[in-house]
Amino acid sequence: MDERPHKAHRAPQSGGKINKKGKEKQQGYNEKAFAPMSGRRADRQGRRNVERDQTRLHVPLVNRTPDDDPPPVIIAIVGPSGVGKTTLLKSLVRRYAKQTLNEAKGPITVVSGKKRRLTFIECNNDINSMIDIGKIADLVLLMVDGSFGFEMETFEFLNILQSHGFPKVIGILTHLDLIKKASTLKDTKKALKKRFWTEIYQGAKLFYLSGVLNGRYPDTEIANLTRFVSVIKFRPLVFRNTHPYLLADRLEDLTPREEVRTSKGKCDRVVTVYGYVRGTNLRLGTKVHIPGVGDLEMKSVTVLGDPCPLPTAESEKRRKLSEKKKLLIHAPMSDVGGVMYDKDAVWVNVPGSFTRGNADVLQGAGEQMVMDLQDVNQTLEDRVAQSSIRLFGSSSKALTVEAAIDEEDEEAELDEEDFDSGLGSEEGSDDEDEEMDEDIPRHADNTGRTNRRTVTRSLPSSIKERTEVEYAESDSDLGEDETEQRTGGRVRVGGEEEEDIPSDEDIDEEEEVEDIPRWKANLADRAQQLAAGTRKRRMDWIKLIYNTDLSPEEILHGKTTEEKSTDDGDDFFQIKSKHAEDPEVLDCTKEPVDAESLKKWEAEEMLDAIRHLFITGADDEAGDGDGDGGEAEDGENDAEDENEDAEDEGDVDSGKKMKGHVSRTDALARKKEILKRKFDEQYDDPDGPKADFYDEKKEEIAQQLATNRAEFEGVDAEARALVEGFRPGQYVRIELHDVPCEMIEHFDPTYPIVVGGLLPAEERFGYVQVRIKRHRWYNRILKTNDPLIFSLGWRRFQSIPIYSLDDHSIRMRMLKYTPEHMHCYATFYGPVAIPNTGFCAFNSLDASTPGFRVSATGVVLDIDRSAKIVKKIKLTGVPYKIFKNTAFIKDMFSTALEVAKFEGANVRTVSGIRGQVKKALPKPDGSFRATFEDKILKSDIVFLRAWYSIQPRKFYNPVTSLLLSEKSAWKGMRLTGQVRRDEGVKTPLNVNSTYKKIERAPRRFNPLIVPKKLQAQLPYGSKPKLMAPQRQETYLQKRAVVMEPEERKAVALMQQIRALRKDQVARRHEKKGEKRAERAKKMEKVDAAKSEKEKERKKDAMRMAGQKSKREADMEEGGGRPKRRKT
Amino acid sequence: MAQPSALVHFSGHQHLRNRLVLSILSGKHVRIDKIRSEDKNPGLRDYEISLLRLLEKVTNGTVIEISVTGTTILLKPGIVSGGTLQHDCTLSRGIGYFLEPVIMLAPFAKKPLNITLKGITTEEHDLSADILRTVTLPHLQLFGVSEGLELRIKRRGAAPGGGGEVQFLCPIVKQVKTLNFVEPGKVKRIRGVAHAVRVNPQFSNRMIEASRSILNRYIPDIYLYSDVYKGDESGKSPGYALTLLAETTTSAIYCSEAIAEPGVAPEDIGLKATRALLTEVEKGGCVDQKHQTFILLMMVLGSEDVGRCRMGEPTPKTIQFLRDVREFFATSFKIVSADLSDPDCFQLLYSCYGTGYINANRTLA
Repeated sequence: MDERPHKAHRAPQSGGKINKKGKEKQQGYNEKAFAPMSGRRADRQGRRNVERDQTRLHVPLVNRTPDDDPPPVIIAIVGPSGVGKTTLLKSLVRRYAKQTLNEAKGPITVVSGKKRRLTFIECNNDINSMIDIGKIADLVLLMVDGSFGFEMETFEFLNILQSHGFPKVIGILTHLDLIKKASTLKDTKKALKKRFWTEIYQGAKLFYLSGVLNGRYPDTEIANLTRFVSVIKFRPLVFRNTHPYLLADRLEDLTPREEVRTSKGKCDRVVTVYGYVRGTNLRLGTKVHIPGVGDLEMKSVTVLGDPCPLPTAESEKRRKLSEKKKLLIHAPMSDVGGVMYDKDAVWVNVPGSFTRGNADVLQGAGEQMVMDLQDVNQTLEDRVAQSSIRLFGSSSKALTVEAAIDEEDEEAELDEEDFDSGLGSEEGSDDEDEEMDEDIPRHADNTGRTNRRTVTRSLPSSIKERTEVEYAESDSDLGEDETEQRTGGRVRVGGEEEEDIPSDEDIDEEEEVEDIPRWKANLADRAQQLAAGTRKRRMDWIKLIYNTDLSPEEILHGKTTEEKSTDDGDDFFQIKSKHAEDPEVLDCTKEPVDAESLKKWEAEEMLDAIRHLFITGADDEAGDGDGDGGEAEDGENDAEDENEDAEDEGDVDSGKKMKGHVSRTDALARKKEILKRKFDEQYDDPDGPKADFYDEKKEEIAQQLATNRAEFEGVDAEARALVEGFRPGQYVRIELHDVPCEMIEHFDPTYPIVVGGLLPAEERFGYVQVRIKRHRWYNRILKTNDPLIFSLGWRRFQSIPIYSLDDHSIRMRMLKYTPEHMHCYATFYGPVAIPNTGFCAFNSLDASTPGFRVSATGVVLDIDRSAKIVKKIKLTGVPYKIFKNTAFIKDMFSTALEVAKFEGANVRTVSGIRGQVKKALPKPDGSFRATFEDKILKSDIVFLRAWYSIQPRKFYNPVTSLLLSEKSAWKGMRLTGQVRRDEGVKTPLNVNSTYKKIERAPRRFNPLIVPKKLQAQLPYGSKPKLMAPQRQETYLQKRAVVMEPEERKAVALMQQIRALRKDQVARRHEKKGEKRAERAKKMEKVDAAKSEKEKERKKDAMRMAGQKSKREADMEEGGGRPKRRKT
Repeated sequence: MAQPSALVHFSGHQHLRNRLVLSILSGKHVRIDKIRSEDKNPGLRDYEISLLRLLEKVTNGTVIEISVTGTTILLKPGIVSGGTLQHDCTLSRGIGYFLEPVIMLAPFAKKPLNITLKGITTEEHDLSADILRTVTLPHLQLFGVSEGLELRIKRRGAAPGGGGEVQFLCPIVKQVKTLNFVEPGKVKRIRGVAHAVRVNPQFSNRMIEASRSILNRYIPDIYLYSDVYKGDESGKSPGYALTLLAETTTSAIYCSEAIAEPGVAPEDIGLKATRALLTEVEKGGCVDQKHQTFILLMMVLGSEDVGRCRMGEPTPKTIQFLRDVREFFATSFKIVSADLSDPDCFQLLYSCYGTGYINANRTLA
């Protein structure tokens, strides 16, 4: 390489580059910039992309929540006490609704965007609340004290979430301002993030909130958080997608006060709960479960106006949400605008002094309300009497109020509900009415909130109930009216042209009056036509079937309601309708074929008339034009037949010929188009982008959802509710009867009230088999027949499980304890849940329980009405007489009957000789004859291994935490040990169960004696070779030894040497022992010193701990943070 | 401890089967009283008792309480267990009477059902084994219950002696599919089974001839089989019948049946069946009248989507069934004319929002 310096660069003065200079940056994606350098790399990159694409795929799930007007997203704020939940809630509400709440209790709904509403709810530190919240929250803001670290409740909550379908979780670290050192802060953040990620998933979002300013978190940080919240997407969770549920944001007691008073508040209550329907459609007639209360029957469900409506397309033309809409907030349990709704009262909070008539001071909603109430100087009755009600805006005369005041009034209300603005004269009395009837939605037009006004206690609540009833009645009346007219119409139509069926009822009525003579005149014709089977009718089947009490025959054969009603009204003695009661009418599927009606097929023209219903027939004049595949195939055939058919038709109805011709050309054109499209599909793009399984499924789901939407598009709300129930997103009021009074007495808005709909299967009880695993953080094993608290489905209940394992797929074998690191089965009695529902279990819900409380998790496998669990039982007996291979066994059974039951059962001795139970013996009761494969010994114990089936105890104890005055102090069934401890009872000791020293006498074995005769016959090899020991002394033993003198000396010397050696060893041993003792003494001293030191250290630590706890206690007393349970 | 489940109350002996089936599926207890209480022979009939016994066999944990007079029953349903079963049906009703409720329950059992029923296979009031096999089972297939679904006619038995035997095999499903069946299509093929037991085998051919004399004018795709059972397989009494079915391009099926009557020639039986079939074809719709309740039940049990089906006017049985369904499942149907523009249209469009019924009895893994 030469070292010459490079030529300096000369920038071009003209040409391409200079011309290009204007647009410096290339717009869009620069392909070259990301091109791989090598082929291998390209390959790898390609593979990675494909794999990454696959990870994005999830099993397509149907989302039952409608896209238009979805219910608000539930955002739960969860964390240990003192972590800043309320502060965050207030900050968020402030951010969205520009309102400062003093007492943020219960769910708070705000509008966050043009398409999204949010319901915030703060979850208190009680595990019951955490369970309930975990089941309904769509997004969890999990708060963690950064200065302290994760606490046990956080992990418990995460485990609860895991077993009930994991909603989205965003972590929030608070109290980070307490960490002063920057490096510590960094490390803490990192460590906590790492732990958080292992719990949720790698890359889970974790927010940091630094300090508190003016009782709120910094606005920028909250704004960041809300940005994340607003873009988050939700994946439907299976359980919530199959159950309707709502989070009650308001609760009201409708029990008549008098009843409450007379029963001293102990009567069952009538309660209404309000909330947005979520999950699937809620149907009246199904049961609901309120966790912590129990199963309840819904008496009625009413749709109310949305208290916190989304902006409509008309009201919001802009891209962003207007400031006005931002002010919407629905939080009946909190004190928005100084009004607080209690369970049976409304509290108005008036700041400063309150004087009437001070018009220049701006008044809050509550003050306004109080003043309105004070303004009333007439009774309700007077008001109603004065008001003039017109049924329609166009009515000339107002209704007069007489005896039926109530009815009229209610009707008016109904009207108002239905056609909001249809009333003219009502306006004047509007205010009073609104206060009276809470069901009328009132939209405050521009400022503040549009809260629903609650009815105050002074009004008799029965009015409302009656309203409901009347509503239903009037509805059915309407139906009957209509059917009357309809059926009347049907009768008349026979004599007229079809087009004359008037759809409007008013006209109907008028016409009927003048038509009657004509109707009579055509009687004969009509009858004939009816006989010919050309009855024309257009009935409202839905109303006829569901809203009348006509019998099916009456509906079909056209008995009008009129006749029926006269029957009911006039005659005292009623003739029983013969048809329905006829005992000989069989419950059969085949309708008897009427021979007369078949006669019509004898005519040729009748046979030809239905030719169009066969593929060989032409398109009929009705022109259904379905254009399905079959028809397309037979296109040619059709064409052939068409001409003659056309002639036939022409004979029948010449008027239709022209129309038919036009429609036929239309149909042909359509058919051609379909064929062309099919051809195009096949030949244009044979290897186009093929829809894979995933896309296909998604397409299918989308199509079905579209059908669902389309089907009920034009149907009125009432019929819709009847057919499909109440859709998610609707704000409903559910009336519940027979609610325990404690729920109202001990109502606390900080504990969430979840109303979960139950599927038909879930109302039942049975044995539930689950796959269960003890939680690895729960530090004890679980024992069969110990009560366990399950959180399964919507419910929380205590039951007694029996653990079992599958034994070679033959039997379910009971286990005394759960295995250490393995799943096992558990069976318990309780309300069933659909298989594949997850659950978690607890031994105790008490907050004072040390350690991790989630004791097990699992999934439901099976539900049944009986359980097939067995445990091993060994029956023992002893032989009392032994023959060759036969023995008589006693002490195994106590009667011959028991033996009979076990005839043929296998038995075994301890030594392993197998046998069989043969037959009972008469003499000692319960003894039997058994045969063995070999002769058994008298000392052998005979076993019979059997399986004893056990049923779990029928114990079900719902956790009724919401009924307690102190919600977290629920006490379930205690363990035996706990009961003993509490009662101070000692464990009973069975003497037979104690371990004793076993005295075993040495066994004596008899010598084997082979009879002489047999011995003689044996071949030599098999002859016993055992010889008797020699009795005489052998030569070596009996000879005398005389040693030579040298020899004797040598022996003596050897003896002496050995003696010396022995002595030496003994002495050495002794010396070593001494030394050891010395050393032990020394070590003792050292140890003593050490333990002294240790003691000192421990003392120090305890003192520190004591001081700390004392400090904390002090703080708690002063409203500080309570004690923590460190992980 | 166990809260009392909801109790549904009915009166009268009619619609007993549907009410029992609905009760078992929904799990609601049902009390039916005034069963023929005014009759000279009050209480349950033998076949109803037999049906109750059959339901007890098919389920686990069912409690049936019958009053002393037999005029009131209380059913506390258990779970549908399925498995291999056998039942001797009484000879007062055909096998169809017993098999119909079983077909409704079987897809929701714990184990696939394999049941053998003995009795009368072809009878005047109840669906014959042929119709059940060729029409009812294809209807079940519309809802995704297909693999392993079979009805074997092992022996034929005519009234009054019986001696017939059928074996019904049914798989289990997690959830039935949502039905969307609004195109009736046009009849593309006609099939039929003519059988004659313990009579001259020529009888079936005569019926077929008579039937063809009418049907041949419509389409060429007609196959009428002559099904002959001999000896032991032919039951205890003589009898013959013709079962016809017409299938449309969208595989809607219409069916009819005529069975032997004393003093009527086989030709007339053939003609009767054929004309009945034409009546069904004329009525149209996607489902014939006999299977209305069955289809409606399956629609109610579908997933939480809108199921639609076009059918003729409801029979009295169907109307009562719709009312009963509302009692048990709190679901109503939307019933409107299938063609709003056409005032002559007798057909109705039934649509309902499925309850999302999941087979809770099914064992997981």
